[in-house]
Amino acid sequence: MSDWLAQVIDRADAVANAQKDELASLRQNALAELKQQQWPTRRTEAWRYTSLHPLEDMTLPALSQDVPAVPEIDGVDSLDFVFVNGKLQGDMPKLPKGVSVGGLTDSAMQAAATEVFGTVKPRTHLFGLVNDVLATDGLVIDVAAGAKISQPLRILNFVSAGSETHHRVLVRIGDEASVSVIEHGAGSGASVNTAFAEYALGAKARLEHYRFALHGGDAIHIGGAHFSLGTEARLNSTLVGYGSQLSRLDYDVIHAGQHANAKLNAVYLLAPREHFDLHTNIEHAVPNGTTEENARGIIGDRARAVFNGRIHIHRDAQKTLAELNNRNLLLSRGGTISTKPELEIYADDVQCAHGATVAEIDDKALYYMLSRGIKREQALVMLNFGFIQELVAQMPNKALAKWLEPQLRDRFMLMDVRNGS
Amino acid sequence: MSEQIEKAIARKYDAGFVSEIESDTFPPGLDEDVIRRISEMKNEPEWMLEWRLQAFRSWLKMKEPDWAHLGYERIDYQSISYYSAPKSMKDKPKSLDEVDPELIRTYEKLGIPLHEQKMLAGVAVDAVFDSVSVVTTFRAKLEEAGVIFCPISEAIQKYPELVKKYLGSVVPRSDNFFAALNCAVFTDGSFVYIPKGVRCPMELSTYFRINELNTGQFERTLIIADEGSHVSYLEGCTAPQRDENQLHAAVVELVALDDAEIKYSTVQNWYPGDENGKGGIYNFVTKRGIAHKNSKISWTQVETGSAITWKYPSCILKGDNSVGEFYSVALTRGRQQADTGTKMIHLGKNTKSTIVSKGISAGNSSNAYRGLVKMGPGADGARNHTECDSLLIGDKCAAHTFPYIESSNPSAIVEHEATTSKVSDDQMFLCKQRGLDAEKAVSMIVNGFCKEVFKELPMEFAVEAGKLLEISLEGSVG
Amino acid sequence: MMLTIKDLHARVEDKIILKGLNLTVKPGEVHAIMGPNGAGKSTLGYVMSGRDGYELVSGSIEMNGEDLMEMDIEERAQQGLFLAFQYPVEIPGVSNMEFMKESVNAIRKARGEEALTAAEFLKIAKEACKQVNLPLDFLKRGVNEGFSGGEKKRNEIMQLILLKPKLVILDESDSGLDIDALKVVADGVNSQRDGKRSFIVVTHYQRLLDFIEPDYVHILADGKIVKSGGPELAKEVESTGYAWLGKPEEAGA
Ligand SMILES: Nc1ncnc2c1ncn2[C@@H]1O[C@H](COP(=O)(O)OP(=O)(O)OP(=O)(O)O)[C@@H](O)[C@H]1O
Ligand SMILES: [Mg+2]
Repeated sequence: MSDWLAQVIDRADAVANAQKDELASLRQNALAELKQQQWPTRRTEAWRYTSLHPLEDMTLPALSQDVPAVPEIDGVDSLDFVFVNGKLQGDMPKLPKGVSVGGLTDSAMQAAATEVFGTVKPRTHLFGLVNDVLATDGLVIDVAAGAKISQPLRILNFVSAGSETHHRVLVRIGDEASVSVIEHGAGSGASVNTAFAEYALGAKARLEHYRFALHGGDAIHIGGAHFSLGTEARLNSTLVGYGSQLSRLDYDVIHAGQHANAKLNAVYLLAPREHFDLHTNIEHAVPNGTTEENARGIIGDRARAVFNGRIHIHRDAQKTLAELNNRNLLLSRGGTISTKPELEIYADDVQCAHGATVAEIDDKALYYMLSRGIKREQALVMLNFGFIQELVAQMPNKALAKWLEPQLRDRFMLMDVRNGS
Repeated sequence: MSEQIEKAIARKYDAGFVSEIESDTFPPGLDEDVIRRISEMKNEPEWMLEWRLQAFRSWLKMKEPDWAHLGYERIDYQSISYYSAPKSMKDKPKSLDEVDPELIRTYEKLGIPLHEQKMLAGVAVDAVFDSVSVVTTFRAKLEEAGVIFCPISEAIQKYPELVKKYLGSVVPRSDNFFAALNCAVFTDGSFVYIPKGVRCPMELSTYFRINELNTGQFERTLIIADEGSHVSYLEGCTAPQRDENQLHAAVVELVALDDAEIKYSTVQNWYPGDENGKGGIYNFVTKRGIAHKNSKISWTQVETGSAITWKYPSCILKGDNSVGEFYSVALTRGRQQADTGTKMIHLGKNTKSTIVSKGISAGNSSNAYRGLVKMGPGADGARNHTECDSLLIGDKCAAHTFPYIESSNPSAIVEHEATTSKVSDDQMFLCKQRGLDAEKAVSMIVNGFCKEVFKELPMEFAVEAGKLLEISLEGSVG
Repeated sequence: MMLTIKDLHARVEDKIILKGLNLTVKPGEVHAIMGPNGAGKSTLGYVMSGRDGYELVSGSIEMNGEDLMEMDIEERAQQGLFLAFQYPVEIPGVSNMEFMKESVNAIRKARGEEALTAAEFLKIAKEACKQVNLPLDFLKRGVNEGFSGGEKKRNEIMQLILLKPKLVILDESDSGLDIDALKVVADGVNSQRDGKRSFIVVTHYQRLLDFIEPDYVHILADGKIVKSGGPELAKEVESTGYAWLGKPEEAGA
């Protein structure tokens, strides 16, 4: 066991003794499980390409007092929940009818919290368990059955240098309810942050979900978003990730009810020495589910991208349609990409496919652009960015896409682009 | 409809007979003494024994891999016999006339006549029976061309310089658990050397037969294609039908020097066990080739047998412009488990690799593709294209795909695609409407699915492979 | 001379497709090229524009006295060569607008003109878009992304209008078009005829030539121009087909 894990377990005991909320017994269970866990090494399959040394070696500086400004987004009138270093700032916004929001320990939220806590996220994820036992900050969101919440809920999670935070979001979406949630994390000072979110969608519920994991620099960010879909539920989720010295995200989508539909898009833009690791796992446990997943990354400089996309079709999950596509562009010598799409299939009447590519520039598209007089370098930039832009354009919230696009473009333009191939 | 398909794929195993041949077999067990005795039986020089012992010592420190998608009872390495040879082979027959007729009959029954006049013209055969090579045909004709094709035990005596230089140069002694075990206890196998600029005048082939109960087969193949040469090599395998599992842990090393080309084809039909998973061969094989400048290594495999297959024929594309290929059909049924695929390690500039894998799973079987494509920092302009298709027949089988892709060169291109499909009711309906019975229909659809791979096999083998699939899919109805 | 092609032999992979093609085009002329499927008509356009894999074996191509083969693809475009593709490619994620603006400005720059500002460009793009009868939101969509066959062809003509090239090759710009769209395409092309600009119109049908009257008609078969004539040759082909050409040599092999 690592020192880091040992000190987590020490502190978890303290948390368990201090918190007398209804999550306490769940935390106790998680702690018991955590004590059984092995510290991952490079021989642990799920951590094959991501070293935890930065976490083990991290010594936090004194807590910085900088408080970042909350970005305003034109055309997005969101209900904002701003956390700085784990603490909610200001008052709760005024909530529309049909949705209640509170802190993790808020007694009014305990029913929703206990129903969701630890039930969507896989039980074996080590850092998920760390978050279970240490997270006392965060939000519980409960959307009543049938409620259609048009204003997006935006959860901003800023971390400053010197902070260690464990943040949890628990969301229960009632039958036929719909809601949009934006999880926005940022911070690039030396800090440690785990941030896990669990979403339980009822029958015919809809969730439009965004996660902007815009950390950078020395920040260590380990987290995940986990979704359980009821019958005919629909999930549309977009992830935008920047890397940092260590960024790791796990996504799980569980088709718990039939005829659910999940669409997952992820883009990551990495430079200069950033590390970004995305593991996604789609569990088709029941028949007739549909999943479409697209993950695309551009890797510049000496950055490292890791992608692992698993689709698991259980024995009974006949008539599943599942597709995963991962595309990567490596722009410079010194950067690396490790990708592994995985199919595990136990039912025969299914349509499943996955594809993964690295550094594939569409020759025909390039020729077309050149034949219109565009310079080769310029054509490559346009094609490369177009490849990210295509997923951004698919975001259902157009105003959000519009806000994001120039930021991504700026980030991309700073990356060094390989000369013509 | 799917019941009919199920029936259509129940199989019989044609090669399951046992030959009544008296053998010298070591008692089960493995220690340094056993290795010394193997080496002694083979009359090996001291350096070879030393090599084996070092491998054994590193094997003792290694752990059996458990990462493959396989479930089986752990093997008790002390309950296996590590050497078995027909008694009649002791005196080293000088010609085919001196070989025990029962042995020759065994190969004839398997469709491998060893008399040159009866043989397929153009194919030279090395027949390996349990731990020894029985006979190698057409040697004279090959010698004319300067080609060396002989049992590896003989090569160790006659060509020690070549063996010393290349044995273990592609698959290091402690590469993996099974390879290390093989290094310690390998008994026989084939050795091939094609001199500079020579196009081997005929197909070379080795036929492996496990006969004796409770023995393991640990063969070793080493093929060296010198600069500008060309060789096509085929390998076939069968074993009797027995209730006990038997271990086959081979190592194959290929060396393609500059501008050379090696084509290595396998039709693997070890006994797969019965429909309840009793018996069958555990096939844990390490195959790897190293490709120097402008050379090409091509692996083609048709895997229909074995209870468990664990096998990743790989290419190290070291030289600039070298080419690696992997074409595979793996068919599993009953309780068979296959975990197979390839590794393409691109080191040189403008190296190219192609992977085509077709997995067919039926019954309660499990079929996994596991592969690695790695683009090293020096692999400028390298390309890989991978295509992995799975066909599921019935709702109790499983198909998995685990491709690892690692790239650290911005000008390298990797493309991987995988799909799954089933023999659909519509396809069955169409075939039947056109007058085909269920068996014929399934075999046609499966054959179509595998076509891309079959076309890579040398003619003689393509026919055999097609037949093999057909037999595999043939109904034991009634 | 706008274009001089002399004894052009060209290869795709290992196959020689063009086998001694000669063609000269003067400024302002319209030449129609017809011929059976697989004759090499598209290949000619690709070789002229410099597509990878289309390799010159022997012969020469000059545009305005300059050797095209010495230039990169984009240089040829900047010198005024425009190919309207038979099968325009889709480029998802790159907006039509962004693409055309880059293209127009690259060509303006080559001509020594000032780059257009976003506003200036938007204005002419909107006009061109209207001219080919495409809704304005096509400017925002990805290049050809999800466009129907006819929409792609119109998008090609829109680019033609915006780029103002000197020599235009239209590769079956009429195929797959309904009659209204055909008029749109033809009007678009005719609007660009100014007595200086030259056109090579590849087509299978007389129909298009009713709208774009050619000065010459050539029959390309088996990699060569086997017959040339006036507009009446196209009508002849329309009624008699290509049977008179006899079987291509390879047919028996
Ligand atoms: N990449 C390629 N590889 C092999 N052959 C090719 C390739 N591209 C074109 N060809 C062949 O070259 C020949 C000429 O093709 P081309 O597209 O120029 O014909 P075309 O005259 O335009 O025909 P169509 O009227 O059908 O458009 C055809 O036989 C075609 O199959
Ligand atoms: Mg054409």
